[in-house]
Amino acid sequence: MADVREDILARLLEVVASIPNLRSAQRNNVDIPEDQLPAAIVFDGDEDTADEADASMRPPNRPTLVTMTPEIVIAQQADEVGSDITTLRRELIKRVLKDTELNEQIVKTGRHGNGTIRYLGCQTDVGWMRSLHGALRAQFAIKYVLKPDEL
Amino acid sequence: MVDYSALLYDPVYGEIGVDAMFIAAGTAGEAAITVIDDTRPKSLMAGSAEVRSVGPGAFARIPELTSNGIARADYVDATLSFNGRVWTVRSYELRGSPNGEDLGEVRFLLKEAASTDG
Repeated sequence: MADVREDILARLLEVVASIPNLRSAQRNNVDIPEDQLPAAIVFDGDEDTADEADASMRPPNRPTLVTMTPEIVIAQQADEVGSDITTLRRELIKRVLKDTELNEQIVKTGRHGNGTIRYLGCQTDVGWMRSLHGALRAQFAIKYVLKPDEL
Repeated sequence: MVDYSALLYDPVYGEIGVDAMFIAAGTAGEAAITVIDDTRPKSLMAGSAEVRSVGPGAFARIPELTSNGIARADYVDATLSFNGRVWTVRSYELRGSPNGEDLGEVRFLLKEAASTDG
């Protein structure tokens, strides 16, 4: 049994948790108290295939390419929340796009693999709470081969 | 004309008000005033996540501020200490009274005085 999607999300959480100075790294938690900040949360996100337009006679259990779009949220409260978020964003992008296990062993982005990881972009929000609050939502597109026979 | 300060604000502040120290930014002068702690729960959305914290605030009577020489221009960046915590006034909103805004209240919108960075 091999569930590449789950392997990707589990490794993403490990990569995110390695970002310096985070107080918490969690998956799909939607309720974060302030004493866990700075926090990063990995949301599983959606996935898609191009198979809707596939009119071939390809058997349904043949491998197909899937693009999943997990979202990673980083939240912080601090006087200098802007530069804090910038630093955390830099570490996030660098670690996700350069992690060897994620890229080469799970997604298989190497020379002979069909997988890819792309950074799509991010959005930011700020507001006042006990101190200045900032949040960043970053999206990645991760393409991998889904092999129904291995599920 | 009803005197709202004498009949409403003063008795309320006498019951639920707490001692506070107001220090305008860039000054050494302190003024002892009475405030009502108005710290409220507050949450903000961060994508699908909800981050929970508090929105610190305090009510004060404008006549008391004025009698202590505290003008409206002194509000922002002032230090306000009460209930064992030290805050900085980041903004404020006026709460007028039927006797006019100069006899009403101000709600100080506060932020933590010490950096939470790190």
